[in-house]
Amino acid sequence: MSEPILSVESLSVSYGRVEAVRDVSFSVPEGGMVALVGANGAGKSSVLAAVSGLMRPGKGTVRLDGRDITRWPAHRRVGAGLVLVPEGRQILGTLTVAENLALGAHRRRAQAVPAGELYELFPVLAERRDLPAGALSGGEQQMLAIARAMISRPRVVLMDEPSMGLAPKMVDEVFGVIDKIRASDVTVVLVEQNARRALRTADTGHVLETGAIAHSGPASELLKDPKVVQAYLGVE
Amino acid sequence: MLQQLANGVFSGSIYALFAIGFTLVFGILRHLNLAHAAIFTTGAFLGIEIATRTGIPFWALLPVVAGIGAVAGVVLERIAFRPLAGRDDEHFAGLISSVAFGGVLIALIQARYGTEPKSFPYEYFPNRLFEVAGLRVTLTQLVTLGLALALMLGLAWLVSATPLGRAMRAVAENPTAARVVGVNVDRVTAGTYALSSGLGTVAGALLALNIGQTDRGLGASIELIGFAVIILGGLGSLWGAMAAGIVLGLAEALTIHYFDSTWKGLVPFALLFAVLILRPRGLFGHIKVREV
Repeated sequence: MSEPILSVESLSVSYGRVEAVRDVSFSVPEGGMVALVGANGAGKSSVLAAVSGLMRPGKGTVRLDGRDITRWPAHRRVGAGLVLVPEGRQILGTLTVAENLALGAHRRRAQAVPAGELYELFPVLAERRDLPAGALSGGEQQMLAIARAMISRPRVVLMDEPSMGLAPKMVDEVFGVIDKIRASDVTVVLVEQNARRALRTADTGHVLETGAIAHSGPASELLKDPKVVQAYLGVE
Repeated sequence: MLQQLANGVFSGSIYALFAIGFTLVFGILRHLNLAHAAIFTTGAFLGIEIATRTGIPFWALLPVVAGIGAVAGVVLERIAFRPLAGRDDEHFAGLISSVAFGGVLIALIQARYGTEPKSFPYEYFPNRLFEVAGLRVTLTQLVTLGLALALMLGLAWLVSATPLGRAMRAVAENPTAARVVGVNVDRVTAGTYALSSGLGTVAGALLALNIGQTDRGLGASIELIGFAVIILGGLGSLWGAMAAGIVLGLAEALTIHYFDSTWKGLVPFALLFAVLILRPRGLFGHIKVREV
């Protein structure tokens, strides 16, 4: 495998004096998928906030295609194909479904997926395209958040807890969509509390513990590692 | 009586034009920009100075004034609001710093133009009078009303149907979510101020054209009634500001008709309080900019 498409080197993120992320490093090869798992408050979301440009890291470097993008504003990263599906979905509830999608496309208009094509992938959004996005159910809003990221034909998708708060059937649907995204060779970084499910989908896993990486390895091996199983996966 | 009503509509359209710029900034950014009246006054002086020096026709004058106003709005945001972003008291501090920015503008106006009123060149705008159904209206009034309506409808269209407007509504609802999807929030903020102040300077130039002259108190004279318009219409509501501007213009005209002009200052505010008691969120309080 060649140069990683995304690499994070010695990243530290602080909220005031509280250090949420300490010296975290990992990289993802093009088309690969990394899962960041760990307990609530372990710093997983803060890593994604720094990689997507929503937060300035205190230390460390974020590289896309080897280019240092640590100081880039968020919109420039979106333009370069690095897109976040944020925790809690962050859809714009007063805008229509179609307007949310149009916003997702506007930084990469040349590459954007035609709306019609996207609606075939997400039929439930097609029916609701002229409704305010706030009127959608939680699962539909999550689909919209993913569709809004995918419409820009991103190269790297960062997903923050996409299954949080969803009914089991919707969780299956979300992971079904993640499988489709992987099949289209898009690079994925997935943050999940549902660690077992995330590691089953990913190639590589990193376990975060109080802001630092405690275990790393091929996802299939982490799933069998007794320490990881005991602490994070529990008995099935 | 009808004549008074017509006059009310004309002055109301200027109140509305003043108010939509102010309410736009509040609706999108939650900033109370108290320099808006000074921007308005600046527009009046700029219009007169440019008309006097260059003699360019009226239809070319307004875009020039609007352009300078837009630049002033961007500078205003940079100086009075952006440095405060992220502070706990961001909104209150911005209110104070915008008062200061307005004070500086008025001081600059006084330094440049002195304290005497300034007038448009003699017969700069054709002084024509029409009689329509017994009403006497000047060409200036007709043009003012037409332009005010066109600018307000244009702004409503821009907010509801263009990519910039979509980004503005996204920022209004949730700046973080807007950043996530790649909206350049700084640029949208600058654009909002450019639009607001561009409209504010044009409103000032139009009022000066209607009166024929201006002095540095022009903005102060319209400021309070402009704020009454904004509250009456519901803070952040474009349609509300338009409707309330006309309503207050009519209320003023009726006051003059039935009482006399000394009561003119009182009635709009009495009306404001009456409406707020009945509808605390204003006439259009439920329709915010983001839903236009």
